[in-house]
Amino acid sequence: MSQLPIISNFQGDFLLQLVLGDSEGTINSLAEAAAYHSVGRRVAPQPGKVIRVRRQGETGFYKPDAKVSDTDIKAMDCLEFVFSDPDKK
Amino acid sequence: MTILDRSEWYDIARETNWTPTFVTEEELFPEVMTGGLGVTRDKWEKYDEPYKTSYPEYVKIQREKDAGAYSVKAALERNKLFETADPGWISILKSHYGGLALGEYAAMSAEARMTRFGPAPGMRNMATFGMLDENRHTQLQLYFPHEHCSKDRQFDWAVKAYHTNEWAAIATRRMVDDLFLGRDAISIAIMLTFAFETGFTNMQFLGLSSDAAEVGDYTFSSLISSIQTDESRHAQIGGPALEVLIANGKKAEAERMVYQGIAGAWRLFCVLTGPSMDYNTPLAHRKHSFKEFMQEWIIGQFERSLIDLGLDLPWYWDKLVAEFDYMHHAYQLGLWYWRPTIWWNPAAGVTPDERDWLEEKYPGWNDTFGKCWDVIIENVVAGRMDKTYPETLPILCNMSQLPICAIPGNGWNVKDYPLEYQGRTYHFNSEIDRWMFQQSPERYRDHMSLVDRLLAGQIQPPDIGGILKYMNIAPGECGDDAHKYAWADAYRVNPFSKSAA
Repeated sequence: MSQLPIISNFQGDFLLQLVLGDSEGTINSLAEAAAYHSVGRRVAPQPGKVIRVRRQGETGFYKPDAKVSDTDIKAMDCLEFVFSDPDKK
Repeated sequence: MTILDRSEWYDIARETNWTPTFVTEEELFPEVMTGGLGVTRDKWEKYDEPYKTSYPEYVKIQREKDAGAYSVKAALERNKLFETADPGWISILKSHYGGLALGEYAAMSAEARMTRFGPAPGMRNMATFGMLDENRHTQLQLYFPHEHCSKDRQFDWAVKAYHTNEWAAIATRRMVDDLFLGRDAISIAIMLTFAFETGFTNMQFLGLSSDAAEVGDYTFSSLISSIQTDESRHAQIGGPALEVLIANGKKAEAERMVYQGIAGAWRLFCVLTGPSMDYNTPLAHRKHSFKEFMQEWIIGQFERSLIDLGLDLPWYWDKLVAEFDYMHHAYQLGLWYWRPTIWWNPAAGVTPDERDWLEEKYPGWNDTFGKCWDVIIENVVAGRMDKTYPETLPILCNMSQLPICAIPGNGWNVKDYPLEYQGRTYHFNSEIDRWMFQQSPERYRDHMSLVDRLLAGQIQPPDIGGILKYMNIAPGECGDDAHKYAWADAYRVNPFSKSAA
């Protein structure tokens, strides 16, 4: 495991937070790490939805099963974590 | 012997000025300390202070003011206000004293810089009194909270805060360093006295004095009124300096300083005064919302003073005014959620009645900020207290050093405003904060936010315990909910009353 600090901008939350992800993990695991600090704390869970990840200002999401180190995500990049329907690409 | 009336000698005495012969004018008033922007000495001598007083007059009035404030304190020391006041009000006192007492001391140094290096004789004269004012304010605001230290050690932060790495203290110190201590005399006249004091201190002190009287804290009310009368006098140092600059072709430079001063001051007042007025002040004693107060003082009065001087409104004016609706609500969420990291106990301020008030004053509050509070309330009611405490840090703005935050819930618009500069990425809360940095990047580039320090390994161990230690927050000083969560009882009785709208 290699820790990767990123900035989490989680949908529905009121602030940006420091989140430590795993650069060897997947985008999904990064989303889980971000959700840990927002969902159930200040953001209500949305059952049936998944959390997708995109770079701030972009519309396209990273592939959920992509390895973080294989993407262009760098330390302290600001990422948006957004609730989405499971079948939506 | 007949003593001349002040009006008969004041102007002559003021305009009696040295002509340096052993050193040059530039050596006596170096640009780096004076900041005269090339306006010549004879032009600066046109500076005409609106409030004229002599030293004997000043001392007489100040003595009476001090006697008044101290005698009210002495008379009311046994009135048990500390035991009977709403805990939210006590929190306002703690945040105020810790945030401002030593800021006044810094302002004294800034006034001293104008006293020595101000290019206009009238400015030096007024700043001498301003320096004495700020010394008095420091002493008062260190002495008054001291009586409470034996009962509540959070009051010790009146003197302690500025000497720590607590995040709100870093933010306050940064602003004080930037606008008061690290500037030349003319910049101080404009940024401290015109922008900070005319624009914001009046609001803070008038509002607090009125709220204090409303809750029955006559000691604090008289203290704050006593300070405010000084502020309203020495705040007038900046106006005539702006007039001289504008009259001598320096309008653009003058505007730039005003805009920087307003932007720097706004953030601090937003985080200290906004939550105090809209959340910590007991509902029954609230006269105005923070937004209403800002509209009256900033839009109604300060904006007019800018226009009267012939200055254009800042490019960011509409953005700043838009923040009246939401920024302090976001800061309040941050203060409450990260409450172990502050030196006062923030009131949640979200009972059903308080939410009705917030919705009335800020239509849409329930659909935005209320959504976050809904989750917090559910956790408090269910006893899931671990979910109401943080396990990471907010990202802090590399200008204000406050959390980067905005509107949550269904109006979610939180955004980073990044900037690449010399190989480092800086993060800002808004275009205004980023613009501030861009005005003098060499001034700000090396400062590290608390998050930067954590990532650089300066905080060990790198967890909440290590962070609290780094912030100098000792056991018994950590903030917690002001009312010990009693406000949540209303939701235990009727869990469906939370959405007031």
